Amino acid sequence: MRSPVHLKLDLAVYGVRLGEELAKERIFSAPASARDFASRDVELILPEDIVARCPVGTRSASKSPYLLRNVDDQFVIEDDSGERTPVGVVPPPRFYNEATTAGTPMWQVGTVHAGYLSIDPATTCGFAAKGAACQFCTMQNDTSATGAAPRTVEEVLEVVRAAFDEGAAEFVYFNTGYFDSDDGGFAFLQPYVEAIKKHFDTLVALQIHPPKDNQWIDRTYAAGVDALSYAIEIHDPVALAKFCRGRSEFIGRQRYYDALEHAATIFPSGTVWSDLIVGLESLESTKEGISALTDMGVLPILSLFRPLDETELREHAPPAPESVAPVYAHLYQAVRDARINVQFMRDLGYAITPIEARFFAGEDAKLDVAVSSFYRSKIGSRAVRGLSKLRRRLRVKTVSDSFDSSRL
Amino acid sequence: MDVVVDTRPLWVILLSRSTRFLKIALGLFVYWAILAMDRPPDLPPEGQRALAVFGLCVIFWALNVIPLMITSLLAIILISWTGVMSHEEAFALFGNSAVFFILGAFILAACMMKSGLSTRMSLVFLQRFGHSPRTLLIAIFLLNAFMSFFMSEHAVAAMNFPIIAEIVAVLRLRPFRGNYAKALFIALAWGSTIGGVATLLGGGRAPLALAVLEQVTDETPYTFLSWMLHTLPVVLTMLFVGYLVITRWFPVDVASVKDAEVALAQKVHDLGRTTLEQRAIGLVMIATIGVWIVAGHELGLANVALAAVVLLFLLRLVEWRDVEEYVNWGIILMYGGAICLGKALAASGGALWLAESTVGAWAGSPTSVVAALSLATWLLTEAMSNSAVVALMMPVGLAIAENVGLAQSLIAPIIAVPAGLAFAFPIGTPANAIAYSSGYLRLRDLIFPGMLMGFVAWIVFNLAANFYWPLLGSALAG
Ligand code: SF4
Repeated sequence: MRSPVHLKLDLAVYGVRLGEELAKERIFSAPASARDFASRDVELILPEDIVARCPVGTRSASKSPYLLRNVDDQFVIEDDSGERTPVGVVPPPRFYNEATTAGTPMWQVGTVHAGYLSIDPATTCGFAAKGAACQFCTMQNDTSATGAAPRTVEEVLEVVRAAFDEGAAEFVYFNTGYFDSDDGGFAFLQPYVEAIKKHFDTLVALQIHPPKDNQWIDRTYAAGVDALSYAIEIHDPVALAKFCRGRSEFIGRQRYYDALEHAATIFPSGTVWSDLIVGLESLESTKEGISALTDMGVLPILSLFRPLDETELREHAPPAPESVAPVYAHLYQAVRDARINVQFMRDLGYAITPIEARFFAGEDAKLDVAVSSFYRSKIGSRAVRGLSKLRRRLRVKTVSDSFDSSRL
Repeated sequence: MDVVVDTRPLWVILLSRSTRFLKIALGLFVYWAILAMDRPPDLPPEGQRALAVFGLCVIFWALNVIPLMITSLLAIILISWTGVMSHEEAFALFGNSAVFFILGAFILAACMMKSGLSTRMSLVFLQRFGHSPRTLLIAIFLLNAFMSFFMSEHAVAAMNFPIIAEIVAVLRLRPFRGNYAKALFIALAWGSTIGGVATLLGGGRAPLALAVLEQVTDETPYTFLSWMLHTLPVVLTMLFVGYLVITRWFPVDVASVKDAEVALAQKVHDLGRTTLEQRAIGLVMIATIGVWIVAGHELGLANVALAAVVLLFLLRLVEWRDVEEYVNWGIILMYGGAICLGKALAASGGALWLAESTVGAWAGSPTSVVAALSLATWLLTEAMSNSAVVALMMPVGLAIAENVGLAQSLIAPIIAVPAGLAFAFPIGTPANAIAYSSGYLRLRDLIFPGMLMGFVAWIVFNLAANFYWPLLGSALAG
C-alpha cells in the first residue's frame, strides 16, 4: 500500500473523480472564493492524519485514476487497481452560508483549510494590476477581484468569530498579493493583525511579499504575527523571471532571500517559511533552493505544480509524482540537518511539509510525530500560544523604553 | 513608535529581565537588614528607620527599578509610616520654595519654547556665526551652553537636536563615517551639559541641593548671582577644554558648510518677523533674570519666578494647555520626596551616624573630603540620573561636612556641580542620550572623550573650590 503522503502527492497532481453517489452532495460544491484558488478542491484526511487537498471537477481531475466513493458510510479513495484507502472528508463550514453585517458572503472573506482560516483582506494583487501576475496564479485574469474594495477590519473580525465559534478553524492566516509600498503591505495588514490579536487568543500567520526595509520585519513580529512567509516559489532566477515576472522585476530574487534571512533571526525557529513549487524548474534547482533556505534557518514548503484551467500555464505538464521523491527526501534531510523546528508548519493540504517528507526519506521520525500530536491537543496548542506570547514580550522593546532610563 | 527585537538567546534575555526582581529584592533586603541590625548606641531609633528608607531609595534610584519620582513618593510614605516624621510634616516639604522655583522656571522655559522664541534664537545665532565648519561647530557648542544658563539643559538639547540633525542631513554626512557630524552632536550634548551647571536654571540639581541644605541647616547662603560666581570658572574652563577635546578628537573634516548656511537662512526666512508675543516673552524673561540677579534674595527666587509666570498669564502670552504639555511634572514629585528624605535623615540623626561610621573614620582635611565627594558624585552621575545623585549625596555630604569641619553651605555646589557633569554615557544625562540617539555616534565616541572631560572637570572643580572660592569668601573650612 502507498504511504499516505505518496497518495497525497498523486491526488494533488491528478485530482479525484467523484463516485456517482457523491456527485450531488453539497459538500463537493464549495463556493468559489474570490482569492483562493483551492476552493474547487476537496479536503481529505488521509491515514496518519495527513491533510490533502485535491482538485475535483477540473479538466485533469476528470481523468484521474482516483475515485472518491462512499462505501457503507465510509469515504474511500479507490485507485484503478481497485485498492481502497479509507479517508475522511472535511465538510465546508456552516458559516460559508452566512453573510457579514455589511452583506458580504462570509466565504468571500475567509476560507477554512485544515484548521486555519485563510483571509486576504486586500482581495487583489499589485502584480496583476501591473500585468505581471505569476503565470500559475488565477489572479492574472480574475477581473472580479481586481480593484475590489478591501475587506474592513470589522468584517474580518466577524468572519473569524464565526469560524472560531463553529470550531471550524483555530488559527488565522493572511495571504496577500503584492503591494507597491516600502512596507511590502504590512502597514495595510497591521490593523487586521492587531484587531485579531486583541479579540482572540490565536496564532496569526502571514504570507506577504518582502518589505524594502528590514525594520518592517521587526514590526511585523512586534505587532503579533507568529509565523511569516515571503514565498519565493522558484529558486532558479531565469525560471523565476519567466513564470513570476512581478517577483523578479519589482522585488528581486535576492530581496526575498535577504528578508527571509533577517526574519529567521527575529521569529522562532520553524515559523519563517517560503514556498517552492516543484515542477516549474529543474529538480536540481529546487533542491538548491531548499538548501539555500534551510541554511538560513527558513523552512521550505514544497507544493507540486498544478496546471489550473484559468491560467496561462494550463497546458504546462505537471511533474510525475514518482519523479519528485528525491526532492522531498532532500527536504527532510536538509531541515533535519539545519535543526529547524518542524512542528509549526503542519496540516497544509496544498503542500508537503517537512515532517510529512519523512515518508520519502524512509524515516518514521517517531519523536517529531509524537510532539506533533501533543501540539494538536488542546493543552499543546494553548502552550504554544502562551510561549509565543511570552517570547514576544521578552524580545520586543520599543525605542522609547531604552530612552526612558535617562530621563530627569 | 519604533521597535527593537532583542535577538540574544532567550535565556540571556530572561536573565537580564529577571534582574528587575533581583533589584526589588535587593532594595527590600537592604531595608529589612538595616531595620533588623542591632542598633548602635549612637544611632537614634528614628535614625535607623530613616537609614532603612534611605537604603531602599538608593537602590531603587540607582538601579532605576521604578521611575525616580515614584521612588520619591515611596520615600514619603515610608518616612511617615515608620514614624520618622509625621505625615503632615513629610508632605509639607512639597511646599518647599525650591519646588516652586523649579516649577516657575519650567513654565518660563515652556513659554519660550511654545512661542517659538527659543527656536528663533537658535536659528538666528547659528545663521549669524556658522559660516565655516569651525565657526558653526563653535556656534552650536556655545549656543547650547548659553541657552542652558536659563533653561533646563535637557530642554535645550531636545529643542536644538532637530536643527543639528537637519544641518547634518543637508551636509549629507553619513552615520559613523567622518568626524564632523560626531563633533556637532557632541557639541550639542556637552554644550548643554556645561551650560547647565552655570546657574540655578540649568536643571533642577542646584535648587534641589539648596532646598536640602536649607531644610537641614536653616541656611540660604546663595543668591542667584553668588551661585553663578561659584560655578563660573568651571564653566568657562570646561567650555574651552570641551572645544579642544572635540576638535582634537574629531578633527573637522568638511571643507564647507555652504549648504547648511543656505538651509539655515531659509529657515530664518520662513520664521518671518519676530512676533509681538515673542518680544513680550523675551522681555519678561530678561526682566525676570534681572530681578533674580539684583533682588532674588530679598524677594525670594521662587516668588520672582512665579510672579513672572502670573504676568505672562495676565498678558495672555501663554495658555494653561501649553504649560501642561511642556512642564516635566514628574520632577516636582521627585524633588518633594528627595527633600523630605534629606530632611528626615538629618533630623533623625541617621545621616550623621552614617557619616561618622563610614567616612568619619578616615576623612582628613576638608580638601580631601571635597575631592572624594566630588569624585564620587561625578562617577555616580555618569551611571544614574543626576537628580537622584543629588538626592542621595546631599544628606550624606552635609553630615560629613559637619564631621570634618567643612562649611556645610559649600556642600550644595560640591554635590550639585559635579552631579551635572556627565559627559560619557547616554544614561548619564538626557543631553547625552539625545546626541547618541542621532545614530551618528558610536558608544566609544562618547565614552572615551567623555571620561577625559569628566576627569578634567573634576580637577578644575577642585582647583576652583580650593583656590577660587576663598576669594569669594567661601573658605572650605567652616
Ligand atoms: S504574487 Fe503571484 S501568486 Fe501571489 S497573488 Fe500575486 S500573482 Fe498570484
